[in-house]
Amino acid sequence: MKTFEYIAPESLDDALEAMERHGSDLKPLAGGTDLLVDLKHTLNGPRIVMDISGVPELRGIEETPAGLRIGAMVTHTEIEQAPLIAEHAPAMIAAAVTIGAVQTRNMGTIGGNLVTCVPSLDSGPVLVALDALVTMAGVGGKRQLPLTEFFLGPRQTALAPDELLIDILIPTAMLGRPTSFRKFGLRKGQALALVNVAANVKVEEGRIAETRIALGAVSPTVIRAVNAEGIVTGKEVGDTAVLREAAQTAVTEARPIDDFRASAAYRRELIAVGTFRVLEEALAQATTA
Amino acid sequence: MRGDGVHEIELTVNGVVRRAQVSPETTLLAALRDSWGLTGSKLGCDVGDCGACTVLVDGLSINSCLLLAVQANGRDVVTIEGLGGFEYLHPLQAAFERLSSYQCGFCAPGMIISAKALLDENPAPTELQIREALSGNLCRCTGYTKVIDAITEVCRDHAGAVGVEQSV
Amino acid sequence: MSRKITDEKKAEGQKLLAAAPVTHPPAVVPDSLPSVPALTPEVNKQTPAVGQRVARPDIRTHVTGTTRYIDDLSFPGMLHCKILRSAHAHARIISIDLSEAGNMPGVVATLTGDEVPVNSFGSTYKDQPVLAADRVRYRGDGVVAIAAETEQQALEALAGVKVEYEPLPAVFDPLEAMGPESPKIHRNNNVYTSKVIARGDVDRGFEESDHIFERRYTTQMIEHVPLEPFAAIALFEPDGQLHLYSTNGRITLGRADLARTLNVPMNRIRLTATIIGGNFGGKNEIRTEPILALLAKKTGRPVKAVYTREEEFIASTTRHPLVMDYKTGVAKDGRLLARAVHLVLDGGAYASWSETTVGKAAILAAGPYRIPNVRVEGHAVYTNKTVTGAMRGFGAPQVAFAYESQMDEIASSLGMDPLEIRMLNGFDEGSASHTGQTLQAVALKETLLMAAKRSGWQEVGR
Repeated sequence: MKTFEYIAPESLDDALEAMERHGSDLKPLAGGTDLLVDLKHTLNGPRIVMDISGVPELRGIEETPAGLRIGAMVTHTEIEQAPLIAEHAPAMIAAAVTIGAVQTRNMGTIGGNLVTCVPSLDSGPVLVALDALVTMAGVGGKRQLPLTEFFLGPRQTALAPDELLIDILIPTAMLGRPTSFRKFGLRKGQALALVNVAANVKVEEGRIAETRIALGAVSPTVIRAVNAEGIVTGKEVGDTAVLREAAQTAVTEARPIDDFRASAAYRRELIAVGTFRVLEEALAQATTA
Repeated sequence: MRGDGVHEIELTVNGVVRRAQVSPETTLLAALRDSWGLTGSKLGCDVGDCGACTVLVDGLSINSCLLLAVQANGRDVVTIEGLGGFEYLHPLQAAFERLSSYQCGFCAPGMIISAKALLDENPAPTELQIREALSGNLCRCTGYTKVIDAITEVCRDHAGAVGVEQSV
Repeated sequence: MSRKITDEKKAEGQKLLAAAPVTHPPAVVPDSLPSVPALTPEVNKQTPAVGQRVARPDIRTHVTGTTRYIDDLSFPGMLHCKILRSAHAHARIISIDLSEAGNMPGVVATLTGDEVPVNSFGSTYKDQPVLAADRVRYRGDGVVAIAAETEQQALEALAGVKVEYEPLPAVFDPLEAMGPESPKIHRNNNVYTSKVIARGDVDRGFEESDHIFERRYTTQMIEHVPLEPFAAIALFEPDGQLHLYSTNGRITLGRADLARTLNVPMNRIRLTATIIGGNFGGKNEIRTEPILALLAKKTGRPVKAVYTREEEFIASTTRHPLVMDYKTGVAKDGRLLARAVHLVLDGGAYASWSETTVGKAAILAAGPYRIPNVRVEGHAVYTNKTVTGAMRGFGAPQVAFAYESQMDEIASSLGMDPLEIRMLNGFDEGSASHTGQTLQAVALKETLLMAAKRSGWQEVGR
């Protein structure tokens, strides 16, 4: 790696000030599992690397009046082991355990995963299905966006160059919503998703009052399969035919690519199978709760 | 920070306080190998895929090729050299020796640290849990079978002797 | 989907074969051979060691992390070497400008191909340059080597090297590379080594067959991915003897190649190899050693080079991809009567171990089956890709994939049990191999039967 200046601010204000002062000469360092790999493959790295692990506002998992707040620096392992997440959003754990391997999860952060924003990111679909919001901060102040508006394209987010991702919020209305997640990869560990999919349901009086279906790795960003959602909404629990129809519709809303890992045709198969399964599992969760 | 791009770091490595002067881009792996001659942790890929560089930092297994040495300042690091020596073997090392679990041996240090991290957290893992815990450590020689057998043996042998709190 | 070997293709193949340098004459097998009784090893009687459990002598150093691999060694004053690799798959080198790179921080010495006394090496043909001087033939070809105080300084200095290339047309498909219109990579013919095995009369065998099966099988390029990347250190002893430490699996071959490229007597070269972190065939020839030796000579200091993982993929050797055309004639009862095989090996940019691979693939191509009429032609062809060389099996795994796949297809077509057709045709004790060797201690059928029994093949069926 080319050498750089290393700074480690201990407050959010110091971190944001440094970002404003140095602009594109500075890169924030969270878990390092993406940044350090990038730095090792370029001779044009940043002049300054800013370690944000000491910024307290980026840590912690807590219940707030608005919902469950998860700090950007929370690692995937911490998510796996957090009682609050097990209670309110266990599908996040199902997603976290599929990321990389033990070593990557011990270092990698949820914020880093969202900011790197590769189309196949594993933490994306569940959070999109849970209507998650992200908070960003610059010297000028804080702002909050739905995650779907945060993701702009492959490796492109709404984060301004002088902003840091602070936390992720799962709104109160979505806490405890029965959610299921599936990832398909060529291996069970250290695998990039060919397709990942999450779905949740709200059941009222034997009917599906609300549903969210989120697809990852099959489009430039994580997407909601809104047409598929429309097919399922209002239908009776137990109507598996409608789930199959929704699964086929979800396929039409995705734009999977052919690459060396899998063909677009195979990915379409996986979307159909995956969507059906997560809907089925979410419903099973809802009706046994 | 010394002002000329060199940082002085101080951390505990295998129970001993170690100091070094490192430039910021030095990884923990490079510091272990070059500053302190602890060459047990290996460079296999340098991008956190193969696990040959796995060490424990504050009890968590991490890829030391992806952690800057300056980030390890003030922390507690355990490497393969800290598990045992030529005369005294950690139970895991003894089991791997008994079963000849390794061939070229290059993956062994990282794999053994991951095995220890697993047993520190879960003294009685299932085979699936062992496989998942080792999924960040690649081996090209063995096919992993005897590594898993050895870990299973250690758990079996220590099930009665070791309480849940005591790390293996 | 089957590819018929049409008459046009056959004629094309004959033309190519006529143009190809056949390095060994066909092996023609006489019709009858004397029977020689098998030697059966007597366990525990011949030697008490056979059958005993043994602990690996190196296991203790492995589990304690004290095994010393080459990268674990360092010497006072040691420099680090990085190699600039070609920007093109095929190009002429017009000029190399080291003026900037040579003055960059930490750089102590540079090396180019024209400074190498004998700039060629290879396990069979000496067709590979130590550092490419006038022409690059694949993207992994080294062009400039730089020794600097730190690895990072060496890497940054590579960026300061200016190489002017004249790109040449490149060819990546071995079948295309066999054609007369294809870009030529070394000499006038990209086919650089061939083997023919012939026994009986395949044409008559096909005429006598009730069924003919034809198909093309292909296998892909595979990289060994040893966990330990290739590493070497060169230094000169006080008496002027060259001392190399290297993850090289063939010390004497290495010393011989080094003696030749450096024009130094072999007894002045000491090569220390140690426990290798995975070889599988990929560390069986010299790589950076001559470069390091020359840099150590220039600088008067030890010089080390360790391959990055990327270099392991592009600049070490890989397993040959094969295109295998199989035509097999079968009697209606399932006996194999004739087999004609055409093998094309993707031979990469340089020969490496391809001759051995072609030989082995050709000898084993017809499979462990009694076939009276066999003809196998195998050719290794240059392409502008990563060098293909030794990897465990050396050509055997690829042809095994082909002939075993075809056996299953034949069985399926005839409505036979895949086990049955192999029992019918498999080698027995004393069978002649396709090159005329009398086979001894043949356990093929016992093994198949035992595998069938243990796996419950009879119960489960196909």
